[in-house]
Amino acid sequence: MLFNFREKLNSSKFLVTAEVSPPKGTSFSVPLEDARQLKGIADALNVTDNQCSIMHMNSLAFSKLLLEDGHDPIMQLTCRDRNRIGLQSDLLGAHALGIRNVCLMTGDFPSCGDQPGSKPVYDLDSVQLLQVVKKLNSGVDFAGNKLDGGTSFCTGAVSGINPEKPLQLIKLEKKVKCGADFIQTQAVFDVGMFEEFIEAINHLDVPLIAGLIPLRSLSMAEFMNENISGISVPEEIMFRMKAAPDPVDEGLTIASETIKEFMKLSRGVHIMPIGSHKNTPKLLSMAGVSDK
Amino acid sequence: MIITSVKPFEEILAILEDEDDIFIIGCNVCAEKLRTGGEPEVLEMCRRLEESGKHVVGWTLPTAACSIRSFESLVEKNEEINKARCILVMGCGSGVSTVAIVTEVPVYGSNNTLSLGGASGGELISNQCIMCGNCNVGEFGGLCPKAQCPKGLLNGPCGGAVDGMCEVNKENECIWNLIYERLKKIKRLDLLYVVHAPQEHCLK
Repeated sequence: MLFNFREKLNSSKFLVTAEVSPPKGTSFSVPLEDARQLKGIADALNVTDNQCSIMHMNSLAFSKLLLEDGHDPIMQLTCRDRNRIGLQSDLLGAHALGIRNVCLMTGDFPSCGDQPGSKPVYDLDSVQLLQVVKKLNSGVDFAGNKLDGGTSFCTGAVSGINPEKPLQLIKLEKKVKCGADFIQTQAVFDVGMFEEFIEAINHLDVPLIAGLIPLRSLSMAEFMNENISGISVPEEIMFRMKAAPDPVDEGLTIASETIKEFMKLSRGVHIMPIGSHKNTPKLLSMAGVSDK
Repeated sequence: MIITSVKPFEEILAILEDEDDIFIIGCNVCAEKLRTGGEPEVLEMCRRLEESGKHVVGWTLPTAACSIRSFESLVEKNEEINKARCILVMGCGSGVSTVAIVTEVPVYGSNNTLSLGGASGGELISNQCIMCGNCNVGEFGGLCPKAQCPKGLLNGPCGGAVDGMCEVNKENECIWNLIYERLKKIKRLDLLYVVHAPQEHCLK
């Protein structure tokens, strides 16, 4: 039996991760209840870190609440709000509380969110933060000081999937070089593009967990195409969403077909539903991955 | 060049609400070029303050507001400064601070200081340098991501650019695209693979 996410990562099992968001406030029963729907079907849950620069409960606290509720959390950590002291200190605290997986990223700019005047920190970037965790894992801090107890994080990073963006590919290469144990990608809608991306990074030895956002409407697809970096919903899917009598059902059908493709191409799927996970168990069942 | 912009006149009036007998110091370098503190702007400021019921005792235009030898050197230019109960500096923040060092009365600034930039082809270019004290701009083809990427990212772009435009300043092309083009032009794309250490803030 596989116990934790790192062991699962090293197995041949097709992995399911899903994104959950901490609450905006101190009441956590609603997001915890949402996460409970994923018990037994998701291998780990990504806990967002003030996503879209909108202030929420921190990812560390909500990761701990998920851990106590029987989940394996992947604490997301961005470079936006803390300098290297704050980041390292939170990482030590998270480890002490039992959190063993992190996913590191740059983070949206504060002006995107609900506290637009906040000081943007970015003391480190995502590549440098990966180096920090590598050091903490080796028992020293970033400055080289010895720790009284190091960490043993399984460390993830993120990537876009456009094979025609050399800068993104080079940055991904740096992330792998600096210790990324797994990569979770931006949402994939164009499987052909994803295949080209995999071809382009063929030389990198890192498990890829492919991002997925189930569509709920045509307007949602249009909005993402225009506003979200790295997302391109192909014409064919737009057409299907437009023609569908029940767009939510059609979105789930498309998503399940995509997951079936991922099962041939990647180590897993990372589901980001934008909203609740009420349809996630059904989706995984449709794709044939919920039989655990 | 230090890039400045003029504060709205109402804001300047509010700053000077409890002040009178104002002496104005312009700046004949950056602010003159940017028309935020050269002679025409200083004269216009005198006129508008007088119109608003403030008494302006005099003005001067040193070569640079940020390079003032002593209070006496200001008196030599215009001795009316001796009558001043406050000073309004029409330069950058550094100019205001320099004047404050050599004078005894309250000193105020009429401009907002925005960045270290320049001008090229008749166009103003802002945010060219953050004066980090640890210049390695050559590793980025001469275009500094510390200054021109809002996140100051040293190891490549964030995932936020949409159609090559910056996530933060949507009218700007992502500086990393420009760095890529520059490095390609000078045949140094290899530099993109360098893993850069974070900026050290204890160097200055």
